[in-house]
Amino acid sequence: MKKRKMYIRMITASLLRRRTRMIIALLAITIGAMILSGLVTIYIDVPRQMGAQFRNYGANMIFTSAEGDISPEDVRTAVSVIPSEKLVGLAPYRYETVRINDRPVMAAATDMEGAKAASPFWAVDGEWPEEGGQIMIGKNVAATYNLKPGKKMTCSYLPEQEDVMDNYMDFTVTGILDTGGKEEDYVYMSFEDMEELTGESTAYDICELSVSAAADELETISQTINSSAPSLTARLIKRVTQSETTVLSKLQALVLLVTVVVLALTMICVGTTMTAVVAERRKEIGLRKALGAGNASIVGEFMGEGMILGAAGGLLGSVFGFIFAQSVSMNVFNSSIILMPWLVPVTIAASILVTGLACLIPIKSATKVDPALVLKGE
Amino acid sequence: MSLLELKNVSKIYGDLHALDHVNIKVEKGEWLAIMGPSGSGKSTMMNIIGALDKATEGEILLDGEDIAKKSAAALTDIRRDKIGLIFQQFHLVSYLTAVENVMLAQYYHSLPDEKEALEALDRVGLAGRAKHYPSQLSGGEQQRVCVARALINYPEIILADEPTGNLDEANEEIVVEMFNKLHNEGTTLVVVTHNPEVAEVAQRTIVLRNGRVDHETVNENFTGKIKHITLM
Amino acid sequence: MFIRMIGKAFFRQWKKMTMIALTIALGASLATAMLSVMIDVEDKINQELKVYGANIKVVPKDTSVIDELYDVGDENISGAYLKEDELGKIKTIFWAFNIVDYAPFINTDAKLSDGTKVDVTGTWFNHHMDLPTGEELDAGIASLRSWWDITEGEWLDEQGNEDPYRAMAGAGIAEREGISAGDIISVEGAGGSVMLTVVGIFDAGGEEDDIIYVPVDVAQEIGGLEGRIDSIEVSALTTPDNDLARKAAQDPSSLSVAQYETWYCTAYVSSICYQIEEVITDSVASAVRQVADSEGQILKKTKLLMILITILSMIGAALGICNLVTASVMERSQEIGLMKAIGAHNGAITGLILAEIMCTAVAGGVTGFFAGLGFAQIIGHSVFASSITMRPMVIPLVAVLVVLVTLIGSIPAIRLLLGLKPTEVLHGK
Repeated sequence: MKKRKMYIRMITASLLRRRTRMIIALLAITIGAMILSGLVTIYIDVPRQMGAQFRNYGANMIFTSAEGDISPEDVRTAVSVIPSEKLVGLAPYRYETVRINDRPVMAAATDMEGAKAASPFWAVDGEWPEEGGQIMIGKNVAATYNLKPGKKMTCSYLPEQEDVMDNYMDFTVTGILDTGGKEEDYVYMSFEDMEELTGESTAYDICELSVSAAADELETISQTINSSAPSLTARLIKRVTQSETTVLSKLQALVLLVTVVVLALTMICVGTTMTAVVAERRKEIGLRKALGAGNASIVGEFMGEGMILGAAGGLLGSVFGFIFAQSVSMNVFNSSIILMPWLVPVTIAASILVTGLACLIPIKSATKVDPALVLKGE
Repeated sequence: MSLLELKNVSKIYGDLHALDHVNIKVEKGEWLAIMGPSGSGKSTMMNIIGALDKATEGEILLDGEDIAKKSAAALTDIRRDKIGLIFQQFHLVSYLTAVENVMLAQYYHSLPDEKEALEALDRVGLAGRAKHYPSQLSGGEQQRVCVARALINYPEIILADEPTGNLDEANEEIVVEMFNKLHNEGTTLVVVTHNPEVAEVAQRTIVLRNGRVDHETVNENFTGKIKHITLM
Repeated sequence: MFIRMIGKAFFRQWKKMTMIALTIALGASLATAMLSVMIDVEDKINQELKVYGANIKVVPKDTSVIDELYDVGDENISGAYLKEDELGKIKTIFWAFNIVDYAPFINTDAKLSDGTKVDVTGTWFNHHMDLPTGEELDAGIASLRSWWDITEGEWLDEQGNEDPYRAMAGAGIAEREGISAGDIISVEGAGGSVMLTVVGIFDAGGEEDDIIYVPVDVAQEIGGLEGRIDSIEVSALTTPDNDLARKAAQDPSSLSVAQYETWYCTAYVSSICYQIEEVITDSVASAVRQVADSEGQILKKTKLLMILITILSMIGAALGICNLVTASVMERSQEIGLMKAIGAHNGAITGLILAEIMCTAVAGGVTGFFAGLGFAQIIGHSVFASSITMRPMVIPLVAVLVVLVTLIGSIPAIRLLLGLKPTEVLHGK
């Protein structure tokens, strides 16, 4: 029989037949590994997940044009630069002064779905317009004209050419917009209605984009757009991008520090448990020494056990850690977490390392002990 | 040349002279008992002979080689190659079967050989219990596994520390019987005990007192059989 | 004798006991740190989110209506305004403590020396206030416009320099008019003409780049608008809205008395708005939804995230302690067998071992608690540059956790060992 075979037989015997103790040790390592892989996954995924939350602040990039008008084609070209999964919302706007009861009001034409995505903070009392002839009005406009959702109103548009008659168009108010900002002084309608009202084909004045990316990445994107679509200028909304960077970096630092503290403490916990489990076997180590086992050989056997436990615990821990991270992500962000396969070997390696170190200390100290003393006394 | 010779060996713990200039010779093939009351230095003697511990001073010649000044690692090799140990508390590894416990000694010595280990168990009459765990064996059976483990590597000396201390009379007899068999095969036996019955079986008995050799008796009518003191 | 036995146990097994105490200390410190951080994280992140600027805007009642109806055309004589002397009252409302920053704004049209029309806005930069409560506050746009890039010069410092005739110019107008930091410009408005030293040029990345900002008094002098304020931006720490807050925001009078009390005494953005309206004559305070709503979202998510991480680490700590305690109890099978053999009752044995472990747990727990406070402060200072407030409620939480976990860790193991027959244990099985 080969020596290696006996080695394996001894280790498996120890692992399988000392079940209670091994389960205790395995449990400790699994918990450690689970916390490691779970927290690291969360830490890495937090900027992405939290970044999505920050999109609630609305647009962080705008397209403007030196010539005044932006054609939809230009916008399409420019947007193609942005990876589609990063583009949260795109809202083009065209502003025209219209008249309600012969008093001027700023009207904006937009793509309602785009506006909803780009400005998630808009609170609408009532509904967003869904079809032609519907209009959403700002809170202040509603107060001025005493309008409520469901009421009808008429807008007029005075074309620039003096010899043309005013255009009139009837709208149904579907919702009242509350933002706390200047939008409350505007009315919002679809591009089709705007075209009908003004009798002109509409280009965009401005485009608001909400892009889920960090400040440097946004900078790169805007530069790419500016060089690839010279007809328009992409600019970052500093207030949003800069503040996001500030807050997000704090959040990430928080999670990092928490991860480090939790991990350090957990690893020490695993260490003490392993130390306790190994320290218990001082007598056995003494016996092996009495039988003529060299220190290297004893260290090899016990470390072999420890490493198998470490590997098994690491594997189990990676699985549980992923499940944990996933449930956190689902609970907090309602989105699933990115699976990071490289984390599995890292977790296993880390648990083997921690377990190995934790075992090494008591084994080393046990091998130093006089076998005679260990065998005689308690 | 004696197989083992202790020359002026002392072991001092602080002020306590556990062994005080002891001189002992053990011949090859001899069956020697070391006796003495508690605290007489028996255990210290056993540890020093068994290369488990180092003497404070003196020479220990094993096979003509002085092992007194050897390093811990060298002592480990000597234990492995030349000495078979039998303990009062048996000291079997609880999660290994009887045969695996025997193979453990082979493993550290050279190569584990299950067939040979089974033969050794057969010699101590435990062939049928090879796959049992220590917890499934009686005290006597455990001690016999311990004996099988001690002799598996054909050591120069078998050193038994109170081998019958935890055993009843019947098992005591079996173990002594086994020693007799080993003796007949030419194995050198050193039995440390405070049980006079076990000591009397040996060819020669050394009695220790306060760390010194108090006296030595030679068993004139050596039979290798235990004589129970029966209370009639 | 009981105490003597415990004492012996500690003395003889001090290494083992130290290890258990250490593990419990680690677990307790983890729990303390995580709980402290978790409880405080909402406040901390709330503070951080202040970089997005004001979440409440106060304007005079009916500005839009008056503007629209009478179309006075000249903004400077618009009928509605806020009174400058009432500004201090904002810091006297029920939730005054939650008002972290605010700044008044007064807009006026003016002309540069070459006749170019410019927008001049008077505001606070870092206005120093000694509040009646004894608090001090530096309020103004230096913190409310944290995203401004100062491209030239520096922020206008209201406190360090007595000269009020200073200004900050937006990058847009500065470029058009060739203004650079250090220049002296002449600005003339309805109220008169002043000479202003430009101390800084800023890039705000928006409409503000075309405005010249001056201290409030100066703007009032230029526009002849003494004592008037157009709007106030307030940055307040708020609690994320719930149904009650939304209902109240529609119409506070629709609430029952109890609901009203709850709402008024909770830092919802709507109740703070309501309280501001109470102290500022003829004002309308409304939430800047872009900031207020997003804040709520992010706070909720961050808090939930921290709660879940805390739970994970607590479970980890609990299992770790449980495990070690179980391991250490299992190890004592022989001792327990012996005690049973010499006639100890199960209760006595359990009592003895529990007493030992509990003493260790208390020692470890107390040490861990203080270590945990330290960890919490490290996190607080390195992430938020401010200390984490210590909440008394953490103490009972950690205490219960430690005691419970220790009991859970030891009792099953003790019961298991008690179930063994003394003979089996003593025979080393």
